[in-house]
Amino acid sequence: MAPLIEARDLTKKYGAHVALDRANLNVEAGRIVGLIGPNGAGKTSALRAILGLTNYEGHLTVLGREPFRDRTALMNECCFIADVAVLPSWLRVDHAIDFVAGVHPRFRRDRALAFLAKTQIAGNRRMRELSKGMKTQVHLALTMAIDAKLLVLDEPTLGLDILARRAFYDALVNDYMDETRTILITTHQVEEVENLLTDIIFIDKGRIVLDTSLDDVATRFVAVAVTADRLDAARAEKPYYERHILGKVVLYFENADPGKLAAFGELHTPSVSDLFVAKLSGGAA
Amino acid sequence: MNTSTWLIRREFWENRAIWMIPAVFGGLLILAALFGQVSIPKLTSPAEMHEAAAAFQVIVGAMFYVVMSVYATWYLLDCLYTDRRDRSILFWKSLPISDARTVLIKLLIGMIVIPLVYFAAADVTALIGAFILSIRARASLGSALWQPDVWWQIQVLWVYCVIATALWYLPIAGWLMLVSAWAKRAVMLWAILPPLVLYILERVFFGTQIIGHAITRRMMGLPYVAFNGAKHMWTQGSGVVDNGGVPVTVWHLINPSGFFTSAETWIGAAVGVVLILGAIQLRMRRSEI
Repeated sequence: MAPLIEARDLTKKYGAHVALDRANLNVEAGRIVGLIGPNGAGKTSALRAILGLTNYEGHLTVLGREPFRDRTALMNECCFIADVAVLPSWLRVDHAIDFVAGVHPRFRRDRALAFLAKTQIAGNRRMRELSKGMKTQVHLALTMAIDAKLLVLDEPTLGLDILARRAFYDALVNDYMDETRTILITTHQVEEVENLLTDIIFIDKGRIVLDTSLDDVATRFVAVAVTADRLDAARAEKPYYERHILGKVVLYFENADPGKLAAFGELHTPSVSDLFVAKLSGGAA
Repeated sequence: MNTSTWLIRREFWENRAIWMIPAVFGGLLILAALFGQVSIPKLTSPAEMHEAAAAFQVIVGAMFYVVMSVYATWYLLDCLYTDRRDRSILFWKSLPISDARTVLIKLLIGMIVIPLVYFAAADVTALIGAFILSIRARASLGSALWQPDVWWQIQVLWVYCVIATALWYLPIAGWLMLVSAWAKRAVMLWAILPPLVLYILERVFFGTQIIGHAITRRMMGLPYVAFNGAKHMWTQGSGVVDNGGVPVTVWHLINPSGFFTSAETWIGAAVGVVLILGAIQLRMRRSEI
C-alpha cells in the first residue's frame, strides 16, 4: 500500500531562506507520528505543504493527492487543528456546528453534540466569550466529529494549561484514534506526546534527520551511563553524543552491539526527548 | 443547503453590520420624518404628484446608496484580510471549501447582496416615511406619495442600479479584494497608495494624467454611462415631462442599451475579472499573518 503521506525532495523557499531543503518523508496509515524539531526547523512549512496551504517544489502526495492543487478534495478526508486559538471570535458554538455539518460531508453532528454535552459550553455562546480551554473543546468537538483519515495537529496545545493539555491528549487517544486513522502532530512539548506516538520524524534546518518508528528506536539506539574510569574504552565504540550528568557520562550509540556496550554500564533506551537533543546537538549520525 | 448558501449565511453571522447599518440609518430617517420640519408647497397637478412620489423615493434610495458605497468598500477591503489577521483562516481552510468559492461568495456579498439589502431597507424606510409625511403634511401632499406604478418603476431602477453598479465597479472591487488578500497590514493605505503613486509618477515623468483620468472616470463615470442626461432627472424641476411633453418614466432615466454596449463597461469588467483571479491565487498561497 502506498504511504499516506509521501514527500520526495520537498523544498520550500521564502526568498533566500530555505525552509524545507529536499526533505523526504513517509507516513503510513494507522500511525501517530510526531514531527519534532527546534524553532525554525521547517515543521510548520512541512505541515503547510502537506495541508495544501502553500505551494512547494518537489514531489508530495497526501492520500494520493497533490495538496496544493487539490486542497478542497483533500479536506474531505483530512482535517487539521493549527493551534486552538483560530476559531473566529464572532462565531457561535451552534452556528459552528451547523456550518461544518453543512459543508463537510463526513461530519457527524451527533458525535459533536455528544462531545459538547460533556462540557459546560452552551450553544449560544460566541467564541470570544469562551476560555481558551473551552475553545479547545469546541474545536476538538468539531474536528473529532469528522471521519477523517488524516488528522494534522500543529502545536495544538500552545497556550493551554496543563489540565487542558492532558484532557486534549486523553480525548485524542481514547475517543478519536483507531486503526483507520493517522495523526501527524508537531509540538515543542516532546515529553507530553512521547507516550502516544508510534513514529517520530526529526527535522532540522529544513532536512529530515530521523524518520523511524519507536519500536525501531529501541533496537537502533542505546544509551549507556558510564563512570569516568571506563570512559575512554566506551568512547572507542563511537558514541554520537555525550551528556554529563552528576559525575557520570551518558553516551548515546546508534546501531552498536549491545553485548559490547553492556560492559561499560547499564543500558537503556533513550527517551524521545533525549534522542532529540542527542540527535540535534550531535549532528553527525 | 449547499456550501455556497452556508458561506453566505456565515457572512451574515460575521458581518451583522450588513443589516444593522441600514436598519439604524432607516430608523434615523424615520425619526427625521416624524420630528423634522416639514414644509411642502401644495401639489396640484397629477404630474407634480408623480414627480414628488418619484423624487421622494429616489432621494431616500440615493441616501442609502451613499452609505452602502462606503460600507461595501470597507467590506471588500476587509473580507480577505480579517481572517488572516485573527488566524481564523486556518479554521476555514481546514474545511473542504475552495478558495475560488470563498472569494467569489465574498464578491457576491459585497457587490450584490449588500446593495440589495440596502435598497430593501430604502423601500421600507420610504414606505414608512411616506406614511408619516402624508399624515403630517396632508394638506399639501394628500395621497401624492402613494403611487403604485411609481413604486414599481423604482424597483426596476434599483435592480438596474445594482447590476450596473456591480459591473461598473468590478475593477474597483477586484482591486480592493486583491489588496485584502495580499496586505499584511494597513489595507486602506495599500488600497490608496499604489494608484496615487502611479498617478504622481506619471505626472512628474511624462506630464500626462492617463491613470488619474482613468481612475476618476471609473469612480465618477457611472451616472454618465448608465443613465440618461439630467434633462430627464425627476429631481430637477423640468424633469416631470420631457421635451415632447411625455411624462418621464424610469425607462427614460436608465440607459441599459448604452451601458451594456459601452466598451468602457466591458473593459473595466475584464480588468475586474483579472484582479479577482489574482485575489483567488493570493488566497490560495497566503494564510495567517
